[in-house]
Amino acid sequence: MELTSHQFKSVSSAKLKDVKLQKALYQAKDGFVVSRAKVVAELDNFEEIRQAAADVRDHCLAHLDLYLEEWEKQAQAAGTIVHWAESYEELNALVVKIAQDNKVKKIIKSKSMVGEETGLNQYVEGHGIEVKETDLGEYIIQQADEHPSHIIAPATHKSKDDVADLFAEKHQRPRLDDAEKLTHEAREILRPHFLDADMGITGANFMIAETGSTVIVTNEGNGRMTTTMPRVHVAISSIEKCLPTLDDFALIMRLLPRSATGQVISNYVSMTTGPKRTGDKDGPGAFHVIILDVGRTRVLGSELREALRCIRCGACMNHCPVYQNVGGHAYGWVYPGPIGSVLTPAYNGIENAIDLPNAATLCNQCGVVCPVKIPLPDLMRKLRERQYEKNLKSSTEKWSLRFWAYLALRPKLYSVVTRVMARAGKVLGGDSRRIKRMLFAGQDWTRHRDLPAPRGRTFRDIYINKNKTANR
Amino acid sequence: MSARENILARIRAANKTANIDDVMDGAVADRLGSPPISALPKLDWESEVHFKLRCKESASSLDEIARIEELPSAVNRYLSKNVLPNKAVCWPEFLNLSWAAEGIQMESRGAIGDDKVGLTGSYCAVAETGTLVLLSGPDSHATTSLLPETHIAVVQRSRIVKTMEDAWRLIRGEVGSLPRQVNFISGPSRTADIEMTLVYGAHGPFRVHVIIIDQ
Amino acid sequence: MRVGLFVTCLADLMRPSIGLAAVKLLERAGCEVVFPESQTCCGQPAYNAGDRQSAQQLARKVISEFADVDYVVVPSGSCGGMIKTHYEDLMSGLPEHRVKAQWLAARTYELTDFLANVIDMNSFDTAFQGTITYHDSCAGLRELNIKDQPRKLLAYLPHVDLKEMAGAEQCCGFGGTFSVKYGDISSRIVDVKCDDVEATQVDALVLGDLGCMMNIEGKLRRRGNHKTKVLHIAEVLTGLVGDETE
Repeated sequence: MELTSHQFKSVSSAKLKDVKLQKALYQAKDGFVVSRAKVVAELDNFEEIRQAAADVRDHCLAHLDLYLEEWEKQAQAAGTIVHWAESYEELNALVVKIAQDNKVKKIIKSKSMVGEETGLNQYVEGHGIEVKETDLGEYIIQQADEHPSHIIAPATHKSKDDVADLFAEKHQRPRLDDAEKLTHEAREILRPHFLDADMGITGANFMIAETGSTVIVTNEGNGRMTTTMPRVHVAISSIEKCLPTLDDFALIMRLLPRSATGQVISNYVSMTTGPKRTGDKDGPGAFHVIILDVGRTRVLGSELREALRCIRCGACMNHCPVYQNVGGHAYGWVYPGPIGSVLTPAYNGIENAIDLPNAATLCNQCGVVCPVKIPLPDLMRKLRERQYEKNLKSSTEKWSLRFWAYLALRPKLYSVVTRVMARAGKVLGGDSRRIKRMLFAGQDWTRHRDLPAPRGRTFRDIYINKNKTANR
Repeated sequence: MSARENILARIRAANKTANIDDVMDGAVADRLGSPPISALPKLDWESEVHFKLRCKESASSLDEIARIEELPSAVNRYLSKNVLPNKAVCWPEFLNLSWAAEGIQMESRGAIGDDKVGLTGSYCAVAETGTLVLLSGPDSHATTSLLPETHIAVVQRSRIVKTMEDAWRLIRGEVGSLPRQVNFISGPSRTADIEMTLVYGAHGPFRVHVIIIDQ
Repeated sequence: MRVGLFVTCLADLMRPSIGLAAVKLLERAGCEVVFPESQTCCGQPAYNAGDRQSAQQLARKVISEFADVDYVVVPSGSCGGMIKTHYEDLMSGLPEHRVKAQWLAARTYELTDFLANVIDMNSFDTAFQGTITYHDSCAGLRELNIKDQPRKLLAYLPHVDLKEMAGAEQCCGFGGTFSVKYGDISSRIVDVKCDDVEATQVDALVLGDLGCMMNIEGKLRRRGNHKTKVLHIAEVLTGLVGDETE
């Protein structure tokens, strides 16, 4: 997917003025946050489970080579054909080759964020093969020729009316006016494709080393269709999605649906191990898994390593005050919100996504809801440190902060300067005690809000003077 | 070198750089050999009661019968009540029951696009989440629980286990290696992709009816 | 008990009444208040901007200034959080300073945490009365677990009625330099906060952090709300509000 993170500022400002988007974001926020809180409260030892999940992810990452080798061994024993890819181009080419080798004309696809990273659909279509997205949200996005704005609710930025207009145009049917009818129309349109597609592509939420399985977690059932109906199934995933055992997966499943959609469990958890077996009446004759490493090993050896624990639940964005107001597209790549503000620069180069780690209040609403305890604000701060070292910060910010530090390290000078500022501030505030307009960097403050004016004297002046008087 | 070798080499180098002190000899083999259970919630409920509660929460309907011979009338009861077609496909294990006596036209085969009702058994069920566990196999078509608009599933009372971990233990002990697909099903297919409005019957069944049986 | 007051640069410059109120509270509790006059800034702006070196220098300065007190009390969750949860990380690689940072962190308390949990203070001399709502500042809440402490203290005031607002734990959008670098977004977030405050129709919004305070008060006033007071909890607990200190 094309990276547009450098436009964060202008795009986010536009998104703030987009009335329809604002309404959609407001609805989504309420839905996700409230329902998560309810099902999390229901677990008496949520924090203990969360810690155990973080430990399992760390343990797996620490031995990722061994677990991937074990996964591959078990997968191959079950008849899975395993491929590895070191670039987006390599993954896309492998998919097309598998399709061509199997004379595939039509592909049905269940949601995959790795596929979004590689720009898979466009590539495959470029080779004359039809691809149908089947997750309702992804289907909407594909019809509208847009990108997902959320990792689990890709079309969350679109209103019901948007979808109604879109479906009426694309399906050439009378315009429908409610979510249920629209959903069922999509079901009706997509059903024949499930039945006659030659190949299915899915992501994999996890790969289980113990059994060589891939797992997908869905609510709609399109994942089950995609892994069962076509004669070829290709799962695309990335190296960090590995989990050691089935029990580790069970542990993670107490967290993923709760954190993602506020469900105790998602409707369909489908664990696939190899292609159709002898005697099986359904299932694909060939099952391929492509494991990607773009950026992952670089992050693994870096201070951002903890980001690889991510299980893609979306809780960090759902709870982020910035995401809640600007939506996912402003972030300019596959992963929005706090995790995106770490992964986007980590995978694409920090100079290509300067705004993302800075466009956060470091409020840690993300960190406390992350089911695998990724210290997201700390990771964003580390990226800011690298920006500072590489001289990627704006000179205004750099010099004003340097000036402040210079002053703060010289208490005598500091007390004089702040004394002057307190007096000047009081004068500027006038009778209303509000500063309504400041210059230079201050104008970015007063463009949006007043500044309550200083009171004329600093605390230290008042306090020290008072003590002197008292001691006299 | 192949992509595989390159990636594995980079992982090893990265973990060395990061100075990970989790490296105990045999930790990986131990974990794979006897998978530990890290943290469980309290689970202070009775399995069957909790299973039923969770089924209702996930919008499945419930019925109970004592013997397998009662299944056709239970199915008939459900189909009539919901004004559903009396024509269904089922897993082979149920074919020899007296369906005709209940006026139900039953076939034993995988479902195709037009089938409206699918009847399946289940390997076991998970009480914690109200989940049916179905294993694919020669006599347990995956399509039967997927393509029809209505999925009726039979669950043996004695096979309602507490957790997903328990289900894995059962599978490891009884089945050994995993079948092509293990499906955990918790209620009818759903989506909330349009304005967070919950809609049933996205791509899979609109309805799931669970029949608990004593034997 | 020798208690060092780290007044914070913002209170020092913008709202000295908070410092005076903190002193009054600590003295009422029987503490000997020590105010190291060379104190300035905790280093958080530099730390969050990625300037680790400056942050480290300022942290070392704070550590040395409070080397001989029993406790350090900070009337701010944000600066308190900086000292208590980030100084140690800042000194990683400097073992000697790291030990000192841990020492300081263990002795440092956010004001309401200190009053509620160390002193267990239960009577206050304040003329303040009215209905209030409380904004939980992010660092106080999520770094220092400040949630019940201010509410416990406020409950001792007979003429104060606390009415919780929706989204009390939601960030106000300040975020230090974020408030100016991403002003459009910050402004929207604080607008939502102001809506929540106004929906409660209370006399005053009370909180424990200067950053949030300037942001929310500034926004309320810009919106034309001149009625809802915005007060630091120390001001409420002592009745020393901004105007009386000039």
